[in-house]
Amino acid sequence: MSPPSSVETQGLTKAFGGVVALDGATVSFHHGKVNALIGPNGSGKTTYFNCVTGMIRPDSGRTTYKGRDITGKPPHVIARAGIGRTFQICRVFARMSALDNVLAAVRPGGLVGGLRGARRKAEVERALSWLTRLGIEHLAGVEARDLSWGQQKLLELAGVLMADPRTVLLDEPAGGVNPALLERIGSLVRELNAEGRTFIIVEHNMELVMSISDHIVVFDRGRPIAEGTPSQIRTDERVLGAYLGV
Amino acid sequence: MRLAGLALLAVAVLSFPSMAPNPYILSTGVVVINYAVLATSWNFVGGFTGYISLGHGALAGLGGYGTALLVTRAGLPSFVALAVAGALVAALAVPIGFAALRVRGASFVIVSIALVLIMLLVFQSWASFTGGSRGLVVPRPFPGMLRPEHHRVFYFLFAGLLGLALLAWWLIDRSRFGLGLKAIREDEDKAEALGTPTFAYKLVVFVVSAAFTGLAGGLYALWFGDLDPVFQFSILTGSYMVLMALLGGVRHLFGPLLGALVVGIALEYFKAEFGNTPLHLVATGLLLGLVVMFMPDGVLPALGALARRVLRPPAQISIRDVTAAELAQRQPGGVR
Repeated sequence: MSPPSSVETQGLTKAFGGVVALDGATVSFHHGKVNALIGPNGSGKTTYFNCVTGMIRPDSGRTTYKGRDITGKPPHVIARAGIGRTFQICRVFARMSALDNVLAAVRPGGLVGGLRGARRKAEVERALSWLTRLGIEHLAGVEARDLSWGQQKLLELAGVLMADPRTVLLDEPAGGVNPALLERIGSLVRELNAEGRTFIIVEHNMELVMSISDHIVVFDRGRPIAEGTPSQIRTDERVLGAYLGV
Repeated sequence: MRLAGLALLAVAVLSFPSMAPNPYILSTGVVVINYAVLATSWNFVGGFTGYISLGHGALAGLGGYGTALLVTRAGLPSFVALAVAGALVAALAVPIGFAALRVRGASFVIVSIALVLIMLLVFQSWASFTGGSRGLVVPRPFPGMLRPEHHRVFYFLFAGLLGLALLAWWLIDRSRFGLGLKAIREDEDKAEALGTPTFAYKLVVFVVSAAFTGLAGGLYALWFGDLDPVFQFSILTGSYMVLMALLGGVRHLFGPLLGALVVGIALEYFKAEFGNTPLHLVATGLLLGLVVMFMPDGVLPALGALARRVLRPPAQISIRDVTAAELAQRQPGGVR
């Protein structure tokens, strides 16, 4: 029996001019698990994320989240449905303090709520607690553009978590990150997963993928070619073929 | 400290009419404070969201013509007409914003320019209604009032509107809504991905900006008393707003006000001295170039950075610069 699904897509297709980035991708990610999405460069992983989160509109196909159709919905609606994401090239609000970067994820709550102060005590405390959890609370007052690459990645994650998503999509969390930080991100993902958050992670670092994932989906040329547990994937011939070209 | 500065600014602005040596200078003051209101109104869009609109001149023009036409055609009292015109411009900003705010960057700038040109054509061609190029005379709201007194009254009316616009900007600046707008300025897609309904945010702030711009345009119409499409729907008006806001600093409450003081006074001076030549435009362009090159964040932040460097000693002192003995002396209790 398969576990309940989180993000699920049917026949997702997207072409950029003549280049087919997604070619009928039918995938189901497991709710409450750490899922990984791997594949060679150009296999459509980031395009898949962009379609799921509404950043780009697929040419055809459907996306559902916990059974609800979210195809073609604007990104903020999908975000509010409980899907948070980070970007491959980490994106933070450069000329805003780290604290404001995290506070920007607060839902204003209507017109009246929108005119409330942005730095109300309860929210600031919650934001600081995320910064603390990610180990960058001492940088709360620093503008994001003055942070190092690794710190910016942690800040981006803090902002995403502030919105309290039940499902988190991470696009290459290990990219350009030193080994110590990599370990911290890995264990953080496991911790947050234990607290009930589902993860879908695009990643090239196989060591990280194999150590933290429950379920792995392998993409090649815009569609899944294999899925299973880390041990299953490690020995799958199609996966080896896609990666090594044999 | 901050309150004292605020009070000082208010006193300086409000005491100007009683210090102005003659009615001409006073009328120049009205023009400059009108610029200040316009630039501050522009900064709701430009400063918060980073969308550079060159089309705000059209909104001011619509406010002016709206007020004038409501007085002359509908027979409304001047200030009722002004309020209605402001509301109309705000309402019109919804469909305009709907169309214009879909595109970003250079495309938005071009769309905003198109707005001005379209309005110019409409108001020039529809002469039977707007008076066309012959102009439209706006009845004075205070008949019988002498000119200096007229200038004085309007100076204070503009000052009141300026205060209102500044208050609204300040309120948004510290709010959650404002934080969302600034997030849009920094990275619109990222803000959207975090759950901010970016389009709705942009539209709301555009409408607020349009309302203040329309009111400023309407007040100008009542003060000046004569409207011509060429001046009301001029690319220059919007360009001045951009220049003033950028010069002062778009991320600061008082940036556009400061920019309006500098640019407005310079413009009036050049017009008075070299009235028959377009030299004031050359000077304005030169000023814009210098600011963009040397103070990309505007004058206020540049002055702030300078003040910090001069007034405060560097926070970190290199160990090489002091000896151990000096360090010991610096510590209150000496070496322990």
